[in-house]
Amino acid sequence: MAKLPQAAALAASWRGRRAFWLVPLLLLPVPAWLNEYQQYVINMMLMYVPVAVGFNLVVGNLGLLAFSNVAFFGIGAYTTGVLMLQVGLPWWLTIIPAGLMGAIAGCATSVPALRGVRSFYLAIMTLAFGELMRWIYIRWEPVTGGSMGMAVPAPDLFGWPLITEARKFYVFLALALLVVIATDRLLRTRFGRAFLAIKSNEVAAAAMGIPTDRYIVLCFGWSGFAVGIGGAMYAALVGHLTPVSFDLTELIVEFAMIMVGGLGSLVGSVIGAVVITAAPQVFLDFPGFQELVFGVLIILVLLFLPNGLASLLARLHPGLRDRYHRE
Amino acid sequence: MMLAQLVVSGIAAGMLYALVALSMTVVYRATTVVNFGHGDMVAAGAYAVLVFAVGLGMPFAAALVLATVVLFLFGVLLQRVLLQPIIAGPHLSLAMMVLAVGFTLRGAERLEWGNEVINLARPYPRGVFMLGSVVVTMDDLVITGCVLALLLVLFVVFHVTPIGRIIQAVFQTERGAALVGINVRAFHAVMWGTGAALGAIGGVLLALIVPLTPDMGQWVLLQGFAAMTIGGFGSLYGALVGGVLLGMMQNVLGFYVGTVFIDITAYLVIILVLLIRPNGLFGRRSTVRV
Repeated sequence: MAKLPQAAALAASWRGRRAFWLVPLLLLPVPAWLNEYQQYVINMMLMYVPVAVGFNLVVGNLGLLAFSNVAFFGIGAYTTGVLMLQVGLPWWLTIIPAGLMGAIAGCATSVPALRGVRSFYLAIMTLAFGELMRWIYIRWEPVTGGSMGMAVPAPDLFGWPLITEARKFYVFLALALLVVIATDRLLRTRFGRAFLAIKSNEVAAAAMGIPTDRYIVLCFGWSGFAVGIGGAMYAALVGHLTPVSFDLTELIVEFAMIMVGGLGSLVGSVIGAVVITAAPQVFLDFPGFQELVFGVLIILVLLFLPNGLASLLARLHPGLRDRYHRE
Repeated sequence: MMLAQLVVSGIAAGMLYALVALSMTVVYRATTVVNFGHGDMVAAGAYAVLVFAVGLGMPFAAALVLATVVLFLFGVLLQRVLLQPIIAGPHLSLAMMVLAVGFTLRGAERLEWGNEVINLARPYPRGVFMLGSVVVTMDDLVITGCVLALLLVLFVVFHVTPIGRIIQAVFQTERGAALVGINVRAFHAVMWGTGAALGAIGGVLLALIVPLTPDMGQWVLLQGFAAMTIGGFGSLYGALVGGVLLGMMQNVLGFYVGTVFIDITAYLVIILVLLIRPNGLFGRRSTVRV
């Protein structure tokens, strides 16, 4: 009996997937060639990987239009900042709390979704939530430093000070990799299939006995956790938190990442984080130019490449297609 | 008496929110797409008047008419060039497309004017009238008058002319509407244009009382959403009532509870209304329960 075509595709897919794990290995010697600023940009890309992965999980995989990502991001960053500045914890001890606070915010955001607030209503509500959080960063001055922001102390890892960008690079690479691997594993189990089922047809999914509520909470929670870790990385990378950093321009950046990279694709999130972080470096960075470029990029992707840049990879070699990503 | 004053000045601001919400409702009713780029179209209307009136030195009225026409054409083009090609795709893509168009507009404005705060000169003298002990400004009167006039026009169009029935037909079923001879594509394009043009008028009125910045659009969008949420999505009266209620609430909360609440009234309203009564005052069933 001939080998089933699905099995062949699966094997090709496995070979393709193994190629992905070469990428972080190839990145290891990169700091040797880069100056401090270039390394900073690379670190920024790595910082955005968990942020885009978390955002894409809810919008792309679960199919709910939730714009609360910047809120999770800000909550993660401020958790790290407050724990370091007010409590005096070292940076590496704040990563998990930042993720947990993001996860709590994520679960809280899923409550309206469970109450039946969907599509546009959810989008509007989460947009309002993000703006409300920014108002809290501005108004809760004793803790957050108000609109002047707060200076985050120098980060360290088990007492090893992350004073150079190259040192941060290795820590960020490990964190980004962990989030990507964990999300990949999550998506390949029944959780990923449940997300897909909910995205395709929620009523049918529930009728088949999938506890949709539980999966929606879980998806939002994990999304918030990943994005919160991104927030902790942001605090370490930039060293200064201001409410302006978590406004709607930031939402445009993160939204552009998942749209351009590819909705519902894990590889797409990574590609998006890299491309969208690099774009303002390539183009001149006038005020407003960034929004213009991102807007046009999203429009072009929607018109001509609805599955994002990740679908180009899949066209290159069928094995590079995401196994859990189906239209 | 303070309460009366707060309510009266709240009504003028509320009329503006109502106009923004109405222009979004028109598009939503006609095309079932919620325009996430609408705030930026409103801002674009104000910037267009700035270009025509200050940049090219036209009289204010001419600039206003021209800006409205430009935004109408923009809306038509938006539907024809950007939305029609993906109309068969997932509904989410349409929302993302208008959002991206909004980003692009905002970026273009920021590129030209930077983050500079611009005040548009009023085309009429400033004035204050006393109504008992309640102060009514000329701005309040102009804004309320304009919005009420537009409302009357909309009411006539929707209830006296056949356009109202076409809107209802297309909202209910596009295919059915096409079968009975309605040109759905052209209709959609015209309604996007109308929504953008109405938004532009709202933007100009807004620019009379609020300084103009590229980020204005975002704020406008959320006020419009809040008004729509209170009134219930898709309801024209709801948008009006919701807008006025929002304006009054902002003033009353701001005065009696704390000025910091002016900024977040809209956000709180959106979150609370959607949690407690997702259909608003006049809306239809909007939630999905599994």
